Amino acid sequence: MHVVVAGISHKTASLELRERLALDEDAALRLSQELLDEGVACEVVALSTCNRTELYLYARDSLAARQAALQRLARHAGVEQGELEPSLYSYSGDGAISHLFRVTSSLDSMVVGEAQIVAQLKAAYQMACDGGCTAVVFNRLFRHALEVGKRVRTETAIGERPVSVSSAAVELALQVFGKLRDHTVLIVGAGETSELTATHLKAHGIEKILVANRTLDTSMELAHRVGGEAVRFEDLEGHLSRADIVISSTSAPHYVITRETVERAFKHRKHRPMFLIDIAVPRDLDPEINRVRDAYLYDIDDLQHVVEHNRHEREKDAAHAERIVEQELASMNEWLRSLEVVPTIAMLREAVEDIRRSELSRLGNRLGDLTEDQRARVDMLTTSIVNKILHVPTVKMKEVAGRDQCYLYVDAVRTLFDLETGEEGEAPAAEADRGEEAPGEAPATPGEAPAQPAPPSTTAQPPQTEEPPAPSAGGTVHHLRGTGTEDA
Amino acid sequence: MAQTSVILIWLAYLLYAAAFAVFLIGFFTQRPWMNRLGLIVAAAGLVAQTLGLILRGVDAGRFPFVGLYESLVLVAWAIVLVWHVLESFTKIKAVGLYVMPVVLVLLTIALISYDPPQDMVPALRSDIVVVHVIVMLVAIGCLYVAGGAAIIYLIEERLLHRRKTGGVLGRLPSLAALERLIYHATLLGLPFLTMGMAAGVIRAETFKVPDWATDPMVLLSGAAWVVYLVLIAGRVRGDWSGRAVSWLAVAGLVLLLVIRFAAVPYLSGFHTYGG
Repeated sequence: MHVVVAGISHKTASLELRERLALDEDAALRLSQELLDEGVACEVVALSTCNRTELYLYARDSLAARQAALQRLARHAGVEQGELEPSLYSYSGDGAISHLFRVTSSLDSMVVGEAQIVAQLKAAYQMACDGGCTAVVFNRLFRHALEVGKRVRTETAIGERPVSVSSAAVELALQVFGKLRDHTVLIVGAGETSELTATHLKAHGIEKILVANRTLDTSMELAHRVGGEAVRFEDLEGHLSRADIVISSTSAPHYVITRETVERAFKHRKHRPMFLIDIAVPRDLDPEINRVRDAYLYDIDDLQHVVEHNRHEREKDAAHAERIVEQELASMNEWLRSLEVVPTIAMLREAVEDIRRSELSRLGNRLGDLTEDQRARVDMLTTSIVNKILHVPTVKMKEVAGRDQCYLYVDAVRTLFDLETGEEGEAPAAEADRGEEAPGEAPATPGEAPAQPAPPSTTAQPPQTEEPPAPSAGGTVHHLRGTGTEDA
Repeated sequence: MAQTSVILIWLAYLLYAAAFAVFLIGFFTQRPWMNRLGLIVAAAGLVAQTLGLILRGVDAGRFPFVGLYESLVLVAWAIVLVWHVLESFTKIKAVGLYVMPVVLVLLTIALISYDPPQDMVPALRSDIVVVHVIVMLVAIGCLYVAGGAAIIYLIEERLLHRRKTGGVLGRLPSLAALERLIYHATLLGLPFLTMGMAAGVIRAETFKVPDWATDPMVLLSGAAWVVYLVLIAGRVRGDWSGRAVSWLAVAGLVLLLVIRFAAVPYLSGFHTYGG
């Protein structure tokens, strides 16, 4: 069985396509149900945000799952499959799980580090869960993914550093003013960056936006877009004293605001600091302004410098986050591996055998008057009882091994008998086991590339390869856990 | 019991050192949870120190403020307490970076000059002296924190002016938040300073201490009081820039330090910690 993801995101699809593919709650649930009913997948979660639409499936055949997802999504969006195909990415196994973890960590987001995605994923999972589209694996996987998102955010400062000129300007303003409520920004000239900065400031709750441009029409237009107030360019000096933040981006060949102007403005505003951002080339603001006591002047180079520095820091954070994702992937994989039939049968036998042996040795003293021969017979007798009892479950489990829902049986057996995988050290052993006995079919095939429409690769094997030979307890070391079950 | 008390103070010392280390690491690596962890460790230190002080008081059978050791441990305790209270109100990071070393220095001096509980000299046996000490502790705690915030403000302000933002962004509190902290801490500390000074004056008057009004310590305290009053008044009127407020807070802090470490031990004719 594979965890499979198929979808589109801001990295692969245009906004227009993303809009068409967006799923509202009903559509998401309907789509998931259809996939379940069709028998393509055993568990489905649909995630739809403004930047991505993704279907997560737990399926036997990753290529078939991808194909079904593509078909459904295309039908929903009302586009040809061929049209959607180039934008669609899909991963399975490790690739899918680490993709999910990267999504919750916002490593895959348009703005790396943004926090919204966690809530969106949580809602998507909750809806699927309530709609009965998830079971053992996805319940575990998505809860784990949310934990990963949380871990990345507490252990790294990802997303706390601005990496664009406009957000760096906002960050600097925040560093001076703390909160932007009750503050006023004056925009001089109607450039794109200044508009973007104003929008950012607005998002941080700035109270008043004043727009001054040489042509009043343009300033009125911009003021309208950002929810501000247009003022006459000739009155610039008068408005300057009201402004806590000044963003300038005119195309004027000379300084628009000089040191003297700022000094005069400060006469009216006492000592309240003023933060000036010059994003124009050539510069609008006299560099001498920075010498005025409570004025902080940053030009485009300064902001670029901040951005550069932050980008560097963010790369470090992202690398750290990727390491976290890798670690978590390993722990998720370990759990997924426990859902396989072969090791579970081995564990079950081992556990029961343990009981038999410990009971025998406990009784050892009281069997003191038995001869060696008689002891051997007691041993044989108990062994044969154990084998008889375990025969049917073993055969039945091998029978269901070929079916899609087999992992549910495995989970049930593990819960009923309180079987737990041991330390990490056993993982390679389990892998070796599988390597010999059931080649080709692994729940998570490492390093699988995004499935292409090309013919099936080695990963999509027919179900019968799952059928394993009789398990040998020797290959894996398991133990019976004393307390509790995992995610029962 | 004396031993337990010293062990607790040492424990507090080590916890503060650990908290400082956590703050430093948090500052450089920018792990958001580090600040919280540092606060918790420091709070544990505060608990240990409180217990240590109580035991010391029980041991001595009086309020533990006599002698260099007790007075410094007490001041350090007041600073940590006030800092925690202000922190819980203002949620401001990085102040621990200043508070912790100050507390560590005070405690180092205290632990080096450890002395067993001693009897109070007769001059200190007075209720008004205890009031004077407690009120002054609160005042000093507040004003030290204000001074620390002011130092951070001045450094950050300079860095922002020079556009050296690497050490500032995301690491230090905003200038506005620091300035508010300075103001609030001073606003809280000044009335206590006033009360403490009034208690001192009452004490001096009742016991007819000769020439108390011209004693260097009294004069310096008066100067510190004026500095803080000017700070508050100017800030309320909106006359001062954040930088001016900070410089005043630093000036006040310097005066307080001079009083404690120069005027009281070497210059003052009558003020005593009993040691």
